[in-house]
Amino acid sequence: MLEINNVTKIYGEGSARVVALDRVSLKVEDGDFIAIMGPSGSGKSTFLNIIGGLDRLTSGEVILDGHRIDNLGENDLVDIRRGKIAYVFQQYHLLPSLTAMENVLLPLIFCGDGGDEQKVETILSRVGLGKRAEHKPSQLSGGEQQRVAIARALVSGPSLILADEPTGNMDQKTGNEILELFKELNQEGRSILMVTHSADIARQAKQIITLQDGRIISKAVQQSVR
Amino acid sequence: MKLYQIVAKDVMRRKRRVLYAALGVVIGTMTVVGVLTMAFAGQAKIYKQLEQYGPNLTVIPAVNNLDMKLGNLSMGTLTVGDNYIPQSELPAIRQIADSNIREVMKIDDQGNIATLAPYLYENTKVNGVSVVVVGVDPEPEKLVKSWWNVGKGDYINGPDSVLVGSLAAELLKLNVGDTILFNNNELKIAGILDETGSSDDYQIFAPLASVQKAFDKDGMISSLDIRALCNSCPVETIADSINKNIPGVTAIAVKQIAKSEMGLVDKMSNLMLALGGITLAVGLFGVVNTMMSSVHERIKDIGIMRAVGASRNQIIKVFIYEALIIGVLGGIGGYFLGTALAFAIGPLVFEGTAISFVPQYLPLALGVSIVVAVAATIYPAIRASQIRVADSFRSV
Ligand SMILES: Nc1ncnc2c1ncn2[C@@H]1O[C@H](COP(=O)(O)OP(=O)(O)O)[C@@H](O)[C@H]1O
Ligand SMILES: [Mg+2]
Repeated sequence: MLEINNVTKIYGEGSARVVALDRVSLKVEDGDFIAIMGPSGSGKSTFLNIIGGLDRLTSGEVILDGHRIDNLGENDLVDIRRGKIAYVFQQYHLLPSLTAMENVLLPLIFCGDGGDEQKVETILSRVGLGKRAEHKPSQLSGGEQQRVAIARALVSGPSLILADEPTGNMDQKTGNEILELFKELNQEGRSILMVTHSADIARQAKQIITLQDGRIISKAVQQSVR
Repeated sequence: MKLYQIVAKDVMRRKRRVLYAALGVVIGTMTVVGVLTMAFAGQAKIYKQLEQYGPNLTVIPAVNNLDMKLGNLSMGTLTVGDNYIPQSELPAIRQIADSNIREVMKIDDQGNIATLAPYLYENTKVNGVSVVVVGVDPEPEKLVKSWWNVGKGDYINGPDSVLVGSLAAELLKLNVGDTILFNNNELKIAGILDETGSSDDYQIFAPLASVQKAFDKDGMISSLDIRALCNSCPVETIADSINKNIPGVTAIAVKQIAKSEMGLVDKMSNLMLALGGITLAVGLFGVVNTMMSSVHERIKDIGIMRAVGASRNQIIKVFIYEALIIGVLGGIGGYFLGTALAFAIGPLVFEGTAISFVPQYLPLALGVSIVVAVAATIYPAIRASQIRVADSFRSV
């Protein structure tokens, strides 16, 4: 479903020049669950940002379902964010003044279909937050906030979820609970690209790739995973 | 739920920030409303003064200057004409004035409208000192000279009672109750006027009929003041009509004076409005500044919204909705604070002016503050909507 060909991303110029990604290529099939590992600064976030159109690449191409998306205009990128690709971030990135319900409604409101609160309630129950709909982020624990963020990613029915260290701010137990959620989403057939520092978590993905200095230095398919 | 509902909720929950942003708008709007309210009151005051003071028309005997020539030699000028107007012309003059006013003001009432104050001026000597005696019609005179204040004694209260100007009383050593003689006609001093600062101070006022009798000028007056109770009265038309229809008199509209006074007020309100405009412009920079920082503070939120599917236009919309709310708050606040400002300092600017609420300035205030708030928001919002999502997360 997703094909990344020879993607290079260079930040800055002259002495400030940083090659964040160096001719990276990767194929993601439907239903893949890929963990991305690598030291800090190796280009993991840049990689996800470019796939999702949050950042522009310097050269190479990104093909989603047979169409190039790296050179799309802003309006077409919006369409992709509204349906095919969704994000989950390490810092949750919820709007602090809105309740859980409203945060999850937001993608639907931007889509213009008014916002189906029933649907949002179902999704919130699904991520285990049925009773937290009217809470604001500040009234929720880290794990709960991340569940809200996952619900928000799910609400528009994406086929690909990009998660940048979603368990990075959590203790192991909470992190594992979040991971279980991702596994469920994967079992529903959604593809997942997840950056993680934890070998324990990476081990449960179907595939692990390791980045270093902007290059993929290893790809490992894990047979043991269910 | 709609986008604007989300924005409204968001704004309600960020009260402090939003009120802070509204403050700049409030200050600008407050100044404009304050200035306008004061100018409005000042204008109303001057209108009122014009209504109180002075006639709208003066009618004097027509005089013609004839150049006398002998061949090419000028022999000087000869003034031809009477020095008096026959009192019998008054009804005709009243008829002209009232019918013109009725027409313009759409009044059906057949009663008298304009006030006619006739005058007969005579020079005489009292206690051996020259003085001007003015024959007046006591009732209309009181209306026309509304600023008169009888300091001692009473106003003219009978055919043989007179009112003495303050300086005349001093010079002639006259007191209330004293008797004076006009050509052997005995009159009694009913009262003495407070100083007015005008020529009234040197004169003695007596009932018209008594003066006519004493000086043998039966049925004659020297001049006539006409006062109408309206600012839009067609004084020029009345003057023209009198000049055309009544022989031997010249009517002069005094509206020019009113006009120049109004012009002064206009100039003053323009000046104040300019000041208000400058304040508003300076305020606008303040508003742009707060809006910029308010948008800047929310760059991360903008990134979040874009990441979950907001288009650039939707981001701009979010900020415009917010600006509308700020504009409405700022407009209402600015209106009331501006009026309060006018109440506080208006009386110092236009001495003794009664400031009042001017409801029609509320929509104006709302308009001004909404325009200012939206104008100040649009540019930073557009800029912020163009930041790459990845950068907006990093910038915080
Ligand atoms: N906006 C940017 N400008 C300049 N350099 C950047 C920018 N974003 C990331 N980088 C650099 O690119 C490299 C990869 O960063 P990143 O993708 O965030 O790494 P990771 O997520 O693996 O820690 C780092 O060296 C980082 O400093
Ligand atoms: Mg990173």
